[in-house]
Amino acid sequence: MYFDLLHLKNDLSQKGIFFEFSGPLTQSLLVELGDILKLKMKLESASTLTILKVFALVVEQTQNIIHYSAEKQNQNPAINLDLSTGIIAVGYKDREYFVQAGNLMETDDVARLKSKLNLLKTMDAAQLKKLYKEQRRKDPGEKSKGGGLGFIEIARKSSRPIEFDFAPVDEKYSFFSLNAHIS
Amino acid sequence: MRTLAESIMQILEIPATKYTPFVRLDPETKKIEIRGESYPENTIEFYSPLLAWLQEFFSLPATETPLVIEIEIIYFNSSSSKVLMNLFDELEERVQQGFAVQVFWIYDPENESALEYGEEFQEDLEHLDFCLTEKSI
Repeated sequence: MYFDLLHLKNDLSQKGIFFEFSGPLTQSLLVELGDILKLKMKLESASTLTILKVFALVVEQTQNIIHYSAEKQNQNPAINLDLSTGIIAVGYKDREYFVQAGNLMETDDVARLKSKLNLLKTMDAAQLKKLYKEQRRKDPGEKSKGGGLGFIEIARKSSRPIEFDFAPVDEKYSFFSLNAHIS
Repeated sequence: MRTLAESIMQILEIPATKYTPFVRLDPETKKIEIRGESYPENTIEFYSPLLAWLQEFFSLPATETPLVIEIEIIYFNSSSSKVLMNLFDELEERVQQGFAVQVFWIYDPENESALEYGEEFQEDLEHLDFCLTEKSI
């Protein structure tokens, strides 16, 4: 057998991942994913606040992929539509929920994003709140489609510092991964 | 007798979806309602009819009856937060120009973050009457 879904399933389970999607992501898929997630967490008797926090991470991380993934699936120039590709995973391990997201980005943008995330990682709740409020009143940057608040929001919601990684893929692209926890 | 504003301006009503709120702007009652969840892919596009309506409203002479804005949002994403801040900043300017505006931020006591979000807007506003109101059951 040249595909082994059982192995994939076991691997995800072992990591605590109960939801994983890899492929083109859309707003409507996000809405459905959110509904399933809220229902599942409710059945696990998670608190309303925890459910909303995990949901907020899923929204911000998925919309990051939709807005910024460098991997767009459209080889048809007659259709003006971009399907952004990425990976989103939600899991529960060691009494914490976690939300992970990954997508391709241009290596040229890595240094800028890395320094931004490194800064967020060192900030406490009060500093993050201050930065969030400052950024909320600023004009969004040239490359920003959501207002430049997404990562600050993720860092504020997370119970501990965000984790991230940039892996070179080829000379032009790198793979960006982000992990955030909710306890 | 109808005022100038009422005869020119129309009601703007946008039904709710799973990711965009119910929006209703009524020039006659001078009431704006925003209720539901807000996490569209393109927030600016979603809120632009509302902002255009307000521009038109404030281009007419100020009246004594305040413009009442009721906001009851269960969840909003970070880009909606930015649009709301822009909206409140705009309203704050209008208040300084002599318009009467009242904002009611309605929160569900079960949802701790809704009150916190309201407080974070309130802290950043100086002139706008921004009232945090617990949802009545």
